[in-house]
Amino acid sequence: MKILVVEDEPKTGDYLKQGLTEAGFVVDLARDGLDGLHLGETGEYDLAILDVMLPKLDGWRIFEGLRRAGREMPVLFLSARDQVEDRVKGLELGADDYLVKPFAFAELLARVRTLLRRGSRSKEAEHLHAADLELDLLRRRVTRGGHRIDLTAKEFALLELLLRRRGEVLPRSLIASQIWDMNFDSDTNVIDVAIRRLRAKVDDSFEPKLIRTVRGMGYVLEDSAE
Amino acid sequence: MKRRNHSITIRLTLLFAAISTAVLLTLGLFVGHAVEQHFVEQDMELMTGKLQLVGRLLEKVRTSADLDLLPTLLEDALVGHHGLELLVRGPDDTTLFATHHAGFPSDFLERSAIQNPPQIQVWQESGTHGPQPRRGIAAVLSTGISELPPLVVAVAVDIAFHEHFMASFRQTLWLFVAIAAALAGVLGWVAVRHGLAPLQTIRQGAASVTASRLDYRLAVDSVPVELAELAETLNDMLCRLEDSFKRLKDFSSDLAHELRTPISNLMTETHVALSKARTADEYRDVLASNAEEYERLARMIGDMLFLAQADNGLIVPNREPVDLAAEVRQLFDFFDALAEEKAICFSLQGSGQISGDKLMLRRALANLVSNAIRHTPPGGSICVRIEGDGSGARLAVENSGEPIPPEHLTRIFDRFYRADPSRHSSGEGAGLGLAITRSIIRAHGGDISAKSGDGGVCFELHIA
Repeated sequence: MKILVVEDEPKTGDYLKQGLTEAGFVVDLARDGLDGLHLGETGEYDLAILDVMLPKLDGWRIFEGLRRAGREMPVLFLSARDQVEDRVKGLELGADDYLVKPFAFAELLARVRTLLRRGSRSKEAEHLHAADLELDLLRRRVTRGGHRIDLTAKEFALLELLLRRRGEVLPRSLIASQIWDMNFDSDTNVIDVAIRRLRAKVDDSFEPKLIRTVRGMGYVLEDSAE
Repeated sequence: MKRRNHSITIRLTLLFAAISTAVLLTLGLFVGHAVEQHFVEQDMELMTGKLQLVGRLLEKVRTSADLDLLPTLLEDALVGHHGLELLVRGPDDTTLFATHHAGFPSDFLERSAIQNPPQIQVWQESGTHGPQPRRGIAAVLSTGISELPPLVVAVAVDIAFHEHFMASFRQTLWLFVAIAAALAGVLGWVAVRHGLAPLQTIRQGAASVTASRLDYRLAVDSVPVELAELAETLNDMLCRLEDSFKRLKDFSSDLAHELRTPISNLMTETHVALSKARTADEYRDVLASNAEEYERLARMIGDMLFLAQADNGLIVPNREPVDLAAEVRQLFDFFDALAEEKAICFSLQGSGQISGDKLMLRRALANLVSNAIRHTPPGGSICVRIEGDGSGARLAVENSGEPIPPEHLTRIFDRFYRADPSRHSSGEGAGLGLAITRSIIRAHGGDISAKSGDGGVCFELHIA
């Protein structure tokens, strides 16, 4: 997967490139709007991450230029200005998503993966599994090592999210937004409590432990044996 | 270019002078007219008196011998009346009698033109010392001889003296009016300056107000009644400014403090970590801990930006119908795990629909519920009551637990305000949640208040 990043702030640009590269993407970084538009028009990218405030050509103009050139890849905007008109403009232009600086890198990564998945949704699986944990989506049943586990509707949804995106670190804000539709940063530890309760049912009396806390970032479900 | 308005002093002075001039001028004209009228009446009285005298003399004329004696009788009657001219004309327009300087315009003596009562006339008669102004009347009087037609009798007085007097009177009057107008202007200027002195005092007072001296208040008692309202308005403005300024000062010092604590933690942690070589796990721990702190900082900055925008009226709710009961149920669902851990029981009563921004309202209500959970003791309860009223609704979030002292209730919505200062470092929120809630409710044209009784705390909001 190839990603175009247009970001003029040197440190942010470098870290975005490093982070995304380490997450397995191929990244091209442009430092100003004109270079960015040129790269976007000539190269083949699966996704573009555009800073709004850029020298020479701002993010909105690059976006318009790309669409005019027939480039239909999803676009994620980064904005330091959390202003209403920016938001409105972003949505009117048909931008796919946007993040307000400062943002958590895990959040960015999660959004990038969501956007990339959006275009190519493969056939919905009926079963999800990790190690000996199995999730039957049709009958809404969970078993681990053959034992039936009773989950509430939200716990089931949470486990489904973790399984669908296994191996990805999911920030708390993304979990709150995906499971409870709470689209704002909240300083409560609701997610931690919910995860703890899910773990108690899914992980506590079983080995290996599947749900792992990544300190400072969020939660990930992975089978360490794989 | 901006046109500068004339000063009040100049305007009032000019107005004052203009009014005095107009009044004095009218008065002068009136007095002049009255004096002249008086002269006319005086002359008229004199002349009609003479006409009557002549009339009586004529009545006594019974024979032509009497007629011959008439000039002598008239001569006697006019003794001592200097400047009085008399002319008596016979039936065939011959002059029966005339004083020495008697001269009348010929049409004046025309029998047919003479009216009863006599009409006064003014004319110039050429005399030895140039033209002489005269005022006169004429009448047709009959004699005692019945076959003799009535005679034309004309009387005139020399009014040169009166005219002269009036001329000098007018001159004096105009001079006086001019001087009085000038004087009124000067006095008016002095009076206006004096009258506006309290304004100067207010100006000087206002000029001495600075950011560090916002406690200055104008003395309302010492200014005139007309200015008392202005002074009070200015004082009210100063009150509001002082209050806002104090809040701003508190806010920036709180902000500095709130930022200093996490940044100092970050610095210490990082410096300690760097002070010697450590294992990768130890470094990871430090970075993870830092990341948590950064996230808290970022959240705080986001919240502050939101509040700043709300203050500037930039938060515009994107209105759509919102079912409050459904929102609350969703929030209960979200906070369910947390509540269950503390054995807190949720309950919801009533329902209501309003028009508002779903995202913002959810955030506002989430802050209220989260705040309630934080302050409810284990085993307590949280109750949300909704009452729809027409297009709006009331919503109350009530929780059992310790009451909030009244002195904290009014400030509980202030930024960074915590009723319990010791909770400062426990890491639970930055004290912006309720401020954000209030901003959102106000952006929707509603308001929120906090009440506290024996059994707990209640936040009540109303959106129309």
